[in-house]
Amino acid sequence: MVNKNPSFVGKVGNFLYLFSFLFLLWFVLTNTLNPEELFTGISISIVLSLILSNNYKKLGLPPLGIKRIEYFIMFTLVLLKEIVKANFDVAYRVLHPKLPIKPGIVIIKTELKQDIAKIILANSITLTPGTFTLDIKGNELLIHWINVRSEKKEESTKKIGERFEKYLKVVFA
Amino acid sequence: MRKCIGIILLIIIAWGILTSLQTMPFGVSRAKVANHYINNGKDETGAANIVTSVVINYRAFDTLGEVTVLFLSAIGLGAVLATIKTREKRDTEKASLILSTGCRFLFPPIILFGAYIFIHGHLTPGGGFQGGAIIASAFLLMYLGCHGEKRLNDRCSTFSESLGGLAFVIIGLIGLAVGTHYFLNNFMPLGKFNTLLSAGVIPIIYIAIGFKVGAELSKIIDLLMEES
Repeated sequence: MVNKNPSFVGKVGNFLYLFSFLFLLWFVLTNTLNPEELFTGISISIVLSLILSNNYKKLGLPPLGIKRIEYFIMFTLVLLKEIVKANFDVAYRVLHPKLPIKPGIVIIKTELKQDIAKIILANSITLTPGTFTLDIKGNELLIHWINVRSEKKEESTKKIGERFEKYLKVVFA
Repeated sequence: MRKCIGIILLIIIAWGILTSLQTMPFGVSRAKVANHYINNGKDETGAANIVTSVVINYRAFDTLGEVTVLFLSAIGLGAVLATIKTREKRDTEKASLILSTGCRFLFPPIILFGAYIFIHGHLTPGGGFQGGAIIASAFLLMYLGCHGEKRLNDRCSTFSESLGGLAFVIIGLIGLAVGTHYFLNNFMPLGKFNTLLSAGVIPIIYIAIGFKVGAELSKIIDLLMEES
């Protein structure tokens, strides 16, 4: 019996989403193709997804797609690159005898809508040394910056958020 | 005078200790029980984890007592907190979006990890108590991150707690009824060593303990959060 009701389809989609995530996690934990382990993992994932999948939908996780995964991998690489770059930048500021820092709090804007997209952006900014996300209010992020280069919202958005956001926009489109 | 009495008493005690120590053989390994567990635990219980074979097989009766202690502490806390009627209204601020979304995202994986720990109790370090504690930590995270948003289902937690306790006792009694007649006798086939379906009743009991401990600790957290 196939119910054409979109909410039903949505529910099944949510269920499959959480199920595949949990089962992948189980597989990583057990690291075996033993049928007993796989069966146990499948049954636990089914039970947990049945109970919790409704809650998971509210986070706004994107549906899976090749382009999304591609962009997410690219995003990870960019994040790594930015972390290394920012590490050198902060190390330079710390070791410099004149201590060229200009700490302050700036506000940047984001166009991302989903909660999970916002926290990925916020955590990427926090992971990059020198910038630190303090809070998210609506579509604005409050950021502590070790060297405030511009106090204008648009410019600081370009300097801090843009480099991650252009990839996340595609992933969460 | 008092000093004299003290010295005499000390001498008597020292003599008592000395005589009892002299009866013990010197230079011989006296850890017979421990050696038995280490050498024969694998063959007798089928559990790859020696600690588990001791906790759930050789000393399972003791473990039942431990589970009961946890149960009593949950009841005690409930009784104490139930008498506090007036609840102060406190100004609380909602946690930021970063925290609450992160907690919601992490909740299912943490539960799965707890289940993994207690299901593999006979193979890897960990077991019912540790897995239950991990599951309770997921609930604690939910309570701290998404304050007042979601509550532990009272009936569900009571049900899983009772189910866990009952399963433990019933499996123990079945073991008493069949085979060599002692409590928690391992009456099921031991299976192939170091696989998931091995060691007879040990995994089943650990799953029961996992449910019980998880439900109890979550209940304790729930009671404490309710009063704050």
